This record gives sequence, C-alpha cells and structure tokens, in this order.
Amino acid sequence: MSVIPQLVVNSLIAAGTYALIAIGFNLIYGATKFFNMAHGVMAAIGGYTVFFLMTTYAGTNVIIAAILGVLVAGAIGWGLDRIIYRPLRKRRASNMVLLVASLGAFTIIQAVIAMIFTSQFQTLSGAASEKVYAIFGASITETQVIILASAVLVFVLLSLFLKVTMFGKQVRAVSDDEEVAWIAGINTEKIIGWIFFIGSAIAGLGGVLIGFDTGLQPTMGLNLLLKGVIAAIVGGIGSIPGAILGALLLGFAENFGIWKISGEWKDAIAFGLLILFLIFRPKGIIKS
Amino acid sequence: MAYLIHLAILISIYAILGLSLNLVVGYTGLLSVAEAAFYGIGAYATALLLVGLGWNFFIAMIVGMVLAGVIALLIGLVLSKFDGDYYALASLGFGVIVYSIFLNWQGLTNGPLGIPGIPRPNLFGFAFSDNFSFLLLSVVFVLLAYAVSQFVVNSSFGRVLKAIREDEKATQVFGYKTLNYKLTIFVIGAMLAALAGSLYAGYITYIDPSTFTVTGSIFIIAIIILGGLASLRGSLIGAVLLVLLPEFLRFVGFPDEIAAQMRQAVYGLLLILLMLYRPQGLVGEYKL
Repeated sequence: MSVIPQLVVNSLIAAGTYALIAIGFNLIYGATKFFNMAHGVMAAIGGYTVFFLMTTYAGTNVIIAAILGVLVAGAIGWGLDRIIYRPLRKRRASNMVLLVASLGAFTIIQAVIAMIFTSQFQTLSGAASEKVYAIFGASITETQVIILASAVLVFVLLSLFLKVTMFGKQVRAVSDDEEVAWIAGINTEKIIGWIFFIGSAIAGLGGVLIGFDTGLQPTMGLNLLLKGVIAAIVGGIGSIPGAILGALLLGFAENFGIWKISGEWKDAIAFGLLILFLIFRPKGIIKS
Repeated sequence: MAYLIHLAILISIYAILGLSLNLVVGYTGLLSVAEAAFYGIGAYATALLLVGLGWNFFIAMIVGMVLAGVIALLIGLVLSKFDGDYYALASLGFGVIVYSIFLNWQGLTNGPLGIPGIPRPNLFGFAFSDNFSFLLLSVVFVLLAYAVSQFVVNSSFGRVLKAIREDEKATQVFGYKTLNYKLTIFVIGAMLAALAGSLYAGYITYIDPSTFTVTGSIFIIAIIILGGLASLRGSLIGAVLLVLLPEFLRFVGFPDEIAAQMRQAVYGLLLILLMLYRPQGLVGEYKL
C-alpha cells in the first residue's frame, strides 16, 4: 500500500489548520500593517474556552460551547485592539512598537492560560467514538473533515463578505489607505475593531477544532502563530487567497518533507521554507 | 546571603545578554528575536566540551564564542536582507530552528533531557566551586563585556551603526558598506551572548533546551527595552530590575508553577506598559 494518499490527506489537514490562522492574520495585517504576535494565542483562547465549558458544565452542547469559544476569542481580540493597539496607532507608533506590544500581550495571555489550566496537555472530546473515513486507502477522522470544510467555508464566506457587503468595502478601503478611508467618512477605528474581532474569532475556531483533533496546550499559540505567519508570508502578506495558497504549500512541504526523516523536524522545514521565500520572493505567491 | 549571591550571578549573566542584544537592537536598530539561540549555542558548546571531552572551561568558552560567531555570520548574511518587522520575524525563525536542533538532535544534545553534571570552571588549579568565587568571575566578565561594548559604541564604527539605525540608505550614499557593519555587530553580539551561555552552563551545571526558547529571547528584549535602548547602563539596570522583580512574587507565597507563569505575565505586562507610556525605557536614547 502506498503512503502517498495518507501524506496528501495529512498535508491537507495541516493546511486547513494553518489557513484558519493565516486568514485572520492576513485580514488584520491588511488593515493595520503590523505583525500581530498575539494572533496565535487567540486559538488557544478558543480551545480553552470550550475545554472550560465542557469540564465545568458537564453535558454542555458541543456546538454551543464551540460557538462561545469562537466569540470569546473574537471579543478578546477586539479588546486587545481597544486597550493596546488603538492608543498606539493614535500616537502613530511604529510597527515595531506594535509588534513588541503584541509580544507582551501574547506572553500575558499564554501565562494566564497556564495558570488557570496548568501546562498539562488536555484533550477535547465531543462524541464518544469518532467516525473514521477511508479514501483511497488514507484515513481521516470526522474532526479532520470538519477542519477542511471550515477552512474552505471561512475562506469562501469571508471573500464574498468582503466583496459584496458595504462593510466589506469599508474594510478594503481601510486596508488600501487608512487615512483616505477616514477622510472619506469611514469610521476607521470601528472597522479595525471589527477586523480584530473577525480575525481573532477565525483563529479561535481553528483553536477549537485543533483541540478536538490533537489537543490543547497553553504554548500552542506560538507554534500556530509561526505557522500561520509563514503561510501568510509565503502566500502573500495581507491577501486572503494568499493565506490559503500559503497554507497549502506549507502543509504539503512539511508533511512530504518528513516522509523520509523524523517528524520532529517539521518546524525546521517550515522556517526553511519561510527563509527561502523571504530571500527569493519576499512578497509571497500573490503580491498585494 | 547565599540567595543574594545566586541572584547577583543571574543578574550578571543577564547583564551580559542585555549588553550583547543592545548592541544589535539599540545601537543598530535591528530587532533580533534570536538572542536565546546564541545564548544556547554558547551553553551547549561549553557543556558538551566539558562533559564529553573534559576540556577546560575557559577554552570551551572561547570555542563556544567562536562557534556562535560563525553561525551568527551565516544567519546574519540572510538576515541582512531584511529590516524592520521582517527582520524581527526572520530572526525569530532562526531562533526556532536553533531551538528545535537543541531539542531534536538527540545524539548530540541529549534532547529534552538536557546535559547534567557540567563541572564548575577551573583556572590553573583554582576551582570556582563556591558561589562567591563564581560571582567574582561573573562580575569580571560583565566588566569585560561592558568595556568591549563601550569601546564598540564610542568608536567610529559605533557611530556608523547609529547612522545605519537612523537611515541606512543615507549611510550607504556616504560610501559605507552597511552590510559589513551589520554583520560585524551581529557577530560581536552573538559572541557575547555565547559567553553568557558558557557562564550559565558553568554556574547551573545542568542545561536543557527550555532555557533557550523564544520566550527566553523575549525576556532579554524586555530587559533592554525596560532599561533603555542604546544605553549600556540601561542594559545593566534592566537586568537588575527584571531578575529581582519576580523574586518578590516568590515571597508572596505562590506555588512554584503559578509563580513561574506569573513572572511571564509580569514581563508581558511590562512590555505593553512600556510601549504605551515610555517606549524609550528608563534611560534609553532610542525608541523603536
């Protein structure tokens, strides 16, 4: 039996999780033009919110818990913008200042999660026994199917949303040029607040699904952030389709990369890919 | 008293790291998030040469510094293609790659278990086995690092670094090969960080990868931002404050794991507050 189908399936699943982080990251980067290092930890917030609900209130409906997890992640993302990034923007702080401030936010949130839930590895479990499907000799669990479907759905809905609604037009205007958008009468701060909410909520969704698929750890945020950022840069920073392309490329590079060597080297492969792109094609696949 | 000596040794080690990173971040304006990697290279080189080959500590230290310098030269060649936030991100990438080598190259580094039983330094038959003599040794190295840093920043070379920080293009127009300057300071910084790593390995007598993570790099960034960028005095002040500050948490009586996370949270909060209210730090001469 060939291992290729399983490698392809694994690559796609990895791409799905990376895409859920990268889409929000690119959405936020597009509007604010800074590397939000606290973005990955939003996924941990989503996952741990579900964990909290399902362990303290036994019998909580999985769907309701997941929705709450996504909303909490979104709300905290919005809150960070309100309390930290907006005042800094108002002062015209440089990107580096925003980056360092978001590193601070990341450090605090990760530490608080570890204080509440310990640093131990936790798993979310929904249904008692999970269905496993087989395609072309490769197996894929129900959660993993949901990861893929969510990534595709989020991408399609968000793209449509940005294209056809008035709000989407305002988002694109802010991303093009915040100052001009403001002069044209758009409440740019409100729009950026919403962008943080949506982007963080998508990351939160990623975190919930990863919790069901592989489990939760307070430190998961950094690793997810790094993979999400790599996907975002490789695909094209600030571009939503770019996030998807980058996530696919990264997922395949990692999983085919460890075909012959030990799986622990995934991170090194991912950063190798990033550095190759930064050197030879710094704007990514889709230049925006 | 023993406890105070212990803290003073830690402060010395972090002061050297702060001086080293301030040369790169404060004076040259390159936000490197890879400091812990060079710190780790120095520590691992020393530990392996001492435990594996039974070398003398001071020779192992020099070898570690040279090794860190060579690796910094190679990494610096890639990093010099970037500036601003991309530089931060790419250096973070190298930080993660080096960490994953510490963690996964089991044959060399013993993986997550680390290297125990590192002997204390020994010079012409005098062993620095008690902490007081080790403190004196550390202070000597802090003074050396300070003298080297002061010489560098006050020389004409140091003035070019500051010019690069303010405007690299303009500096190039004046005929300076800025690449060489950026590489040189990056290598000097890495060698000083490796020196601190050697001291750490020789003092604690046990190392594992968890000291050399991205969080470790963020801690050193917090030291120099708190103390003040482009201020050597600031690096020392930052190291004193950030090593002592979390010790107060210990006296409040939190359990160890909570106290460790609390420390992280405090560093994060400090970074945010500094970015919001005093981006130049306590005595800094440059802000991001």
